[in-house]
Amino acid sequence: MKILIAEDEKALQTSIKTFLEKDAHVCETASDYEEALYRISLYDYDMVLLDINLLNGSGLDVLKQLKKSRSEAGVIIISANNSLDNKLEGLDLGADDYITKPFHLAELNSRIKAVLRRGKFGGNEELQFQEITIQTRSKTVLVEKRPIELTRKEYDLLVFFITNEGRVLSKEIIAEHLWGDQSDMLDNFDFIYVHINNLRKKLGRASHYIQTAYGSGYIFKSA
Amino acid sequence: MKNKRSITLLQKTSKAFILISVLLILFSTPVLYFFISKLMEQEVEEELYSRSYRLEHYATENGQLIELPPVFEIVKTPRLRPEILKDTLIYDPSQDETELFRELSTFRTINGEIYRITVRSMVVETQEIVVITLVYFLISLALVFVIQFYFSRAWNRRIWKPFFRNLEAMQHFSLQAARPVELVDSNIVEFSELKTEIETLTSRVIYDYNNLKEFTENISHELQTALAIMQAKLENFLNESAISDQQFEELSNLQRHIRRLANLNKKLVLLATLDQRQKNDYQEISLNDLLEEMVINFREISPVEIELEKKKNLTLFSDPELIQSLIGNLLSNAIKHTEGDGPIRITIDHDRLEISNPGDAELEDAERIFRRFYRKNERSKPGSGLGLAIVQKICEVLQYNVTYHFAENRHFFRIIFN
Repeated sequence: MKILIAEDEKALQTSIKTFLEKDAHVCETASDYEEALYRISLYDYDMVLLDINLLNGSGLDVLKQLKKSRSEAGVIIISANNSLDNKLEGLDLGADDYITKPFHLAELNSRIKAVLRRGKFGGNEELQFQEITIQTRSKTVLVEKRPIELTRKEYDLLVFFITNEGRVLSKEIIAEHLWGDQSDMLDNFDFIYVHINNLRKKLGRASHYIQTAYGSGYIFKSA
Repeated sequence: MKNKRSITLLQKTSKAFILISVLLILFSTPVLYFFISKLMEQEVEEELYSRSYRLEHYATENGQLIELPPVFEIVKTPRLRPEILKDTLIYDPSQDETELFRELSTFRTINGEIYRITVRSMVVETQEIVVITLVYFLISLALVFVIQFYFSRAWNRRIWKPFFRNLEAMQHFSLQAARPVELVDSNIVEFSELKTEIETLTSRVIYDYNNLKEFTENISHELQTALAIMQAKLENFLNESAISDQQFEELSNLQRHIRRLANLNKKLVLLATLDQRQKNDYQEISLNDLLEEMVINFREISPVEIELEKKKNLTLFSDPELIQSLIGNLLSNAIKHTEGDGPIRITIDHDRLEISNPGDAELEDAERIFRRFYRKNERSKPGSGLGLAIVQKICEVLQYNVTYHFAENRHFFRIIFN
């Protein structure tokens, strides 16, 4: 996949690039408004990550330009601004998702993949990992072609794991992904353990993909 | 302000006018009465002297004594005496009653003989004149006051019109509108000055407010960006480096603190911008459904039991994000401050929501719990310290009523929706 990261903060830009390139994406960067406009006018991207507060201009205007040129790229707005107005404006203009700084790269990654699935395959895509198949539209999970019953949270957890395959996920990151703002009220994340255990049980033979990393983190991988 | 009885400006001026009028009447009427009476008395006496003088001359010149008792009579008298002026009662056969007369007796020597000349004049008539004059005075005074009253009221209303118009404009002034108040000018110097002052003041306030808002937004933006960089770098570091379990713990812990800062920032911005929210985002919200959903979410992460009791269906027309934040903060607060197993109880009634959690004793300074960064005690669990402040602010903006009370060993937070 070809991804454009339009973010004026170099350090963040680099970090996102490093993270995404692990999944064999091709990442290009734009550091200001003009550069972003220039890039989208020259190349086609599968995904554009757009910071609203770009140097010399607004990411929303880049978005307008993208829509004007009938780009097929998925667009995720990155913003430090949490206001609902901005969110709605971005989504109204045709952005596919919106993520507020600071975010976890794993969360961004998961959202990118969700947008790509929806965009390219009309919402019918399947996520595949070894013998696990997830039909994201119907939210059904098959292990060795046999459906298994997961709760909403277990399903989200599995999708989060698969989209971040091979990366270390701390309990904090998982808790935030699953419970959002509500997770910050707790000072320990041991309840995550219960959910992971339940998921492992339901995955049966496929449970060994969920591995413990560094004692308190988790990593989803085949080896 | 509510306890003080207040009165409008026009009422006040009218009241003053009436008070002064009444005082004036009360004071001037006796004065006038006294004054006229004295005057009439003098007139009567003057007339008596004059008549007495004419009689004396007539008698001297013509040698003839005229008498018309009881109005005037001349009688011989043995010796000269000083004149006597007195009141006397005389029977009037025509009216069959005794009337009050003023009587002057002078002693004169006419053609060698001593005479006493007595002249009388009826006082009752002058009394009537006094009364009539007074009545007329009172009527015209009252009339003048009434006319003056209505006239000055209308006049005052006219004069004060720019004041009232501007007052109304001030009452509708809102910082969120971010435009200066539109005031009417007046040819009255004070009002004109007041207008200028208010305009200067409001533009100053708007300017400061916008500055502060911009400052908050900038700070928030800078903070979020820095935190985002830290977060992203940490995450890459965790994935790329060979680190020990302990290092991982430490770094995860760092991530948690970054998250805390981010949350704090988010909440501060929410608090700062709450009253700028637009009402167009309002929609119908079923509180029952919303709570059902939120309780499911909270149960998954809450160490304490949560009970939900839905007595009635409660639907609000409001800002969904704020309502969610309101309930989320109350629930977090209840979970954080519950020792042991709970349970936390949520009750929805037709106009209210109650969330309670078990506790040992009533909070000592209950009115302070809604303040920013208020901590109950040292062992309070860490939190942003903004949850209840946000709850109160949201209630303020949405015009709900939030209260705390302690009953049956439970802390109750009650929100009454109007």
